Amino acid sequence: MHRDRQKEYDVIIIGGGITGAGTARDCAMRGLKVLLVEKYDLTNGATGRNHGLLHSGARYAVTDGESASECIKENMILRRIARHCVDETDGLFITLPEDDLAYQATFVASCRKAGIRADIISPEEARRMEPAVNPALIGAVRVPDASIDPFRLTTANVIDARRHGADMLTYHEAVGFVVENGCVRGVRLRDNHTGDVFETRSRVVINAAGIWGHLVAKMAGVQVNMFPAKGTLLIFGHRVNGMVINRCRKPANADILVPDDTVCVIGTTSDRVPFDTIDHLKVTPEEVDILIREGEKLAPDLAGTRVLRAYAGVRPLVAADNDPSGRSISRGIVLLDHETRDGLAGLITITGGKMMTYRMMAEVATDLACRKLGVDKPCLTAVTPLPGSEKPVDKGHTSHRAAEYSTHAQEGRHGTMARTINADSIETRALVCECEDVTVGEVQFAVDKLHVHNLINLRRRTRMGMGTCQGELCACRGANVLCRTARVEPAAAERDLAAFMAERWKGARPVAWGDALGEAQLTATIYEGLCGLNRLCGDGKEIAL
Amino acid sequence: MKFDSIIIGGGLTGLTCALTLAKAGQRTALITAGQSTLHFHSGSVDLLGYDEQGQTVLHPLDAIRALSASHPYHKVDDVAARAEEAARLLADAGLLMDGTTDRNHFRLSPMGVSKPAWLTLNGLVRSAEEDSLPWRTVTFANIRGFLDIPTEFLVDNIRRKGTDVEVKSFTTPELEQARRSPSEMRATNVGKVLADETALRRMVEAIDGLEADGEVILLPAVLGVADARAESSLRQLVDRPIRFVVTMPPSMPGVRLQTCLRQAYQQLGGMYCASDAVTGGCFEAGRLRYVTTENMPDERFYADHFVLATGSFQSRGLMSNYRGVFEPVFGLDVDAADDRGAWTAEYVYDDQPYMRFGVRTDERLLVSRNGVRVDNLYASGSVLSGHNALKLADGSGVDMLTALQAAHNILKK
Repeated sequence: MHRDRQKEYDVIIIGGGITGAGTARDCAMRGLKVLLVEKYDLTNGATGRNHGLLHSGARYAVTDGESASECIKENMILRRIARHCVDETDGLFITLPEDDLAYQATFVASCRKAGIRADIISPEEARRMEPAVNPALIGAVRVPDASIDPFRLTTANVIDARRHGADMLTYHEAVGFVVENGCVRGVRLRDNHTGDVFETRSRVVINAAGIWGHLVAKMAGVQVNMFPAKGTLLIFGHRVNGMVINRCRKPANADILVPDDTVCVIGTTSDRVPFDTIDHLKVTPEEVDILIREGEKLAPDLAGTRVLRAYAGVRPLVAADNDPSGRSISRGIVLLDHETRDGLAGLITITGGKMMTYRMMAEVATDLACRKLGVDKPCLTAVTPLPGSEKPVDKGHTSHRAAEYSTHAQEGRHGTMARTINADSIETRALVCECEDVTVGEVQFAVDKLHVHNLINLRRRTRMGMGTCQGELCACRGANVLCRTARVEPAAAERDLAAFMAERWKGARPVAWGDALGEAQLTATIYEGLCGLNRLCGDGKEIAL
Repeated sequence: MKFDSIIIGGGLTGLTCALTLAKAGQRTALITAGQSTLHFHSGSVDLLGYDEQGQTVLHPLDAIRALSASHPYHKVDDVAARAEEAARLLADAGLLMDGTTDRNHFRLSPMGVSKPAWLTLNGLVRSAEEDSLPWRTVTFANIRGFLDIPTEFLVDNIRRKGTDVEVKSFTTPELEQARRSPSEMRATNVGKVLADETALRRMVEAIDGLEADGEVILLPAVLGVADARAESSLRQLVDRPIRFVVTMPPSMPGVRLQTCLRQAYQQLGGMYCASDAVTGGCFEAGRLRYVTTENMPDERFYADHFVLATGSFQSRGLMSNYRGVFEPVFGLDVDAADDRGAWTAEYVYDDQPYMRFGVRTDERLLVSRNGVRVDNLYASGSVLSGHNALKLADGSGVDMLTALQAAHNILKK
C-alpha cells in the first residue's frame, strides 16, 4: 500500500485488537480519514486470548459497580449490533458447599443495583437447565451472560471501517512518532515482513495497543503506568456446558467456564508479569494445575474431557495501587488526553476496559478525537449493526445439500456475509478443514475480504485448525490453497506452515498428556516423519504470530 | 482358546511377527483394534535414515553399529540377516519392493522432500541421490480438486532438485461423481472409485489426453488397496512411464502393506481378531497365562508366548495422564521421565523426549512388571523405549526387525 505513505490521515490508530478495530469503525463512520495499524495479525493480543465471554456485568457487581453497569449496557447493545458473533447462552453463578451462601444475597442485590437481571433459582432447576453443572451446588443465580467470538467481532468492525473508507496495515509496527512543535503529527511504521521503515502523517494518533500501549506511550515520551496481569486459560475438546458457569463468590482464579462454539474454555489465573515477557507468554504447569482443579468444581465432566490447548493473555490494566494480583483494580475505561495531561498535543490513549466494552471505549476515544479535529458528528455505532448482523440469516438460501453443514458453519462465522462465499463449483465446496467445515470458497473469501495472508490469519478468521485435530491435515491443505489464492510463494508457505504447527504445539505442550500427547505425536509422524516438513523450514524455530 | 502365540497389535510390527510365527507352523492369534500407523505410512521401509547427529545415512548397516546402547537394534542378534528376512517376508506377501541394505536410496515425500529409505514399493518415486531425481523433466498430473497432495510444495521442491515440472490435472466421470460429497476426496475413497476396469480405462484416457511433455508422469498414489494390479495396468496402458507419489493420509501404499500382510497371515490359517482389544491378563509365576478381550469378556485366550506390538502414544500402546506414562494393557514397566516438564521440548521439531519413552525390555525383548521379568511376554516395535523414530528415520525398520527378533526368540525356546 505505497500510496498510503503519501496520504495524510485525520487519525492513525495503533493496535489491531478489538479496541483499535472498534475505534477505526467509529472514526470512519464519523467521516474521518482513518489508518489502522497492527504490528502482527488482528486479535493477536488480549483480544484473541480471553474467555470469549459477553459479561452480563454480574461478576463485577459486588466489587466494581461502575464496570458492572458498563457491561450490562454493552451486553445489550452487542446482542443487537453483533448478533452473528453472540451465542445467547445465559449464565449461572453457582454456590458450592465450600462457598458462603450468604454472599448470594449481596450478589443479587448488587446486580439489581447495576441494572443486571439476576434470578435466584433452585439447585434442581440449575441442574435441569445445565446438566453439566456440579450437582453438589447449594445455590444458583441466573444472569444474562453470553458467549461472544472476539475474532469475528474484530473482523466485522474492520470490515465496516473499511467500508467507510478506512485503510488498514497489518504486520506494520509503530516504531516512533513524528513530533513537530510539541505536537504529534504522525507515526513511523516498520513493515514487519520486509523491515522497511517509513513515515505516515496524521492530525491525531490514538494509542489503542492494549498492554503494548505502555510501550507506545513511552516512545512518545509520556508515561502510562500499566499493569501487565497475565491470565491463563484452557480449551477443552468439546462443548461440555451450554451455559456460562461462574462461582458465586468474590472473583478468584479459574472460576468461569464459557461454552465457545464447539469447545469450552476455563479461566483464568491472574499474575503480574514483567513487560519483557508479554510478547512470548509461557503457560506454567502450576497454572494448568489450578485451572483443572478449579474447573472440575464447576463442571465435573471436565475431568474426563481432553484438554486441547492452553493459552495466556495480558490484561491491559492501568495501575492505580500496589495490588499484586491486579484484581481489585477497576476494569473501568481509561481515556487519556496527552495534550492536557502531558502537554503533548495530538496523542490520545484509550485503555483499561474489557474486550466486551470495546464499543464504549471506541466511542469516548472518537469523541475526543472529533473534538480535537473540530468534527461534530454523533456516534452511531450503538445502533448500526455490524456487517454480518444486519438481519437474522435467512435459512435455506443454498440448494447444495452436500454443502449444508459448511454453509451453516459459514453463516455462524460470517453472518449475512456468508452469502458472498463462492459455493458454485465442486472445487470451491471442497473441504479444507473437516472439524470446522471450512471450504476452499471460504478460504478465498477470507483472502479477499478478511486480510488473510497466512495460516494463522486464516485460523483466526475461519476457525480452520481450531477443532479437535488441531490442524492435523487442514493446515497442509490450507497452506497450499493459500499459495494459489493469496499468491504466497511455496517456500514462504512451507515456512508459514511449520511456524503454524509450532504455534499449535506451543499451545498443546502445557497440556501434553493423554489424548493430546497422542495427537501431537500423530501430527509429528505426518509432518516430520511422512512429509519431512522440518527439513523445509530452516533453523529459525519460528513460531507464527 | 489355546494358542502357541498371541500377538497384540495389528500394525507393521504385529503383522510381521504373526506372519513369521504362522509360517513356522505355530498356532497363532492376532488381536487388533483396527487402524494402525500404516495408514500414515510412506510406502517405504527404512532401516536408518539419519544418524544421531542428524546427518543423512547412506550405509545403514554400518551406521546402526554406532547407535547409542539404548537403541532397540542392539537387541536384534543379526541386523543384516533379519533385514534380508524382512525383505523376503514382504516379497512373499506380494509386496514388490526395491532397495538393498548396502546403500539407502531416497523416497519422495508428499511435500517433495527426499528422505532416506531402505525398501520402497515398486512404482513409487525413488532416486539414488538426495538432491536430484533421475529425470530432466516430469509431468505432475493431479486429480482435479484433490487437496490431499500439497501440489505447490511438491512441484517447488522437485524443481529445486533440478527437474523441470509441468503441472496438469485430469478428471473422469467417476471422480466427478465422488466429488459431490466434499469429504469423499481422500486417497482411499478415490482408490475405491477407481477400482473397476471402466473407471481405470477412463482414467487412462484422461491421462493420455493430457499430452504430457515430461519424461515421466507423476500421479498421486491413490490406486490399489489390496494389490498393485491397478497400478500395473495403468502403467501398461498409458503410453508414458508412470511413477506414483504418496499422498497425505490416509496412505494408499500403507493400507496396501497392511492388507497384503494380513491376507498372507490369514492364508496360513492365522486367527485374526479385528476391532477387538485386549483388556488384561492373568499373570502366574512370572508368566502371562492368558488374556481377555473386550468383545469376548468370558473367553480366556491362553498361549505359551505373547507379543505386545501395540505401538506408541498415537496408537495408544503407551498412554499418559496428568501424573505419568504407563502401558495400559498390563501395566508393564516403562522407561519414561517422571516429571511432566521433561516429556517435551519447546520447539515442535526439537528432539522430543517423549519419543524415546516406551516399555522396558531385557536383551531378549522380554518385558517386566513391577520390576519382575515376565518370561513369555515380549515387546516389539514402536511400543519399545530407547530411540526417536522421527529423528532417526528408523521406525519401520525397528518395527519389522524387532518383530522378527521376538518371533525368533519364541521359536528358539
